[in-house]
Amino acid sequence: MKQHLGRQSGVQKVDVSLIDGKVDVTPKEDGQIDPAQLLKAVYDSGVTVAEMDVTVRGKIVRDSSGNLALQVSQNQSFAIAPNDLLKSVASLADLPAVVTVRGELYRKPAGKQKAAASAPLKLLILEVQKKE
Amino acid sequence: MNTRKLALLFLLGCVFVPVLQAQIKHIEMRVEGMT
Repeated sequence: MKQHLGRQSGVQKVDVSLIDGKVDVTPKEDGQIDPAQLLKAVYDSGVTVAEMDVTVRGKIVRDSSGNLALQVSQNQSFAIAPNDLLKSVASLADLPAVVTVRGELYRKPAGKQKAAASAPLKLLILEVQKKE
Repeated sequence: MNTRKLALLFLLGCVFVPVLQAQIKHIEMRVEGMT
């Protein structure tokens, strides 16, 4: 799995801990990394992802339907799931301000329900680390 | 004239540089079924 992930574009380093089933992915400094592609790569290597957390820096924007999203680049943004932490950054929507947040991008559905790997990833903010 | 251009460049820099620096900094996954 480590080699499989390491071959994905934008990946600089992969650390795997067999004991606690943790996989750390360090993206390249200037690279574009696609979390959905990483999820697929892990599934393809025969392992189930229970949870995916990201630390991401970007701009809070409103999409065409008025929902808030975190824009990472011109062609990459994540819809943000509503919670109390979202309220603390919502006022920055469409301003040039940049925020760094840690959030949950994917969690395996409870029970035996099959995960929809193709479903769009939604960011649930767990911590606002920085507002600039 | 040059001062105006410099001021404009500075303003544009303030607006665009943070966006250019936006990126995914770290990804952590918890996986099941790994041997």
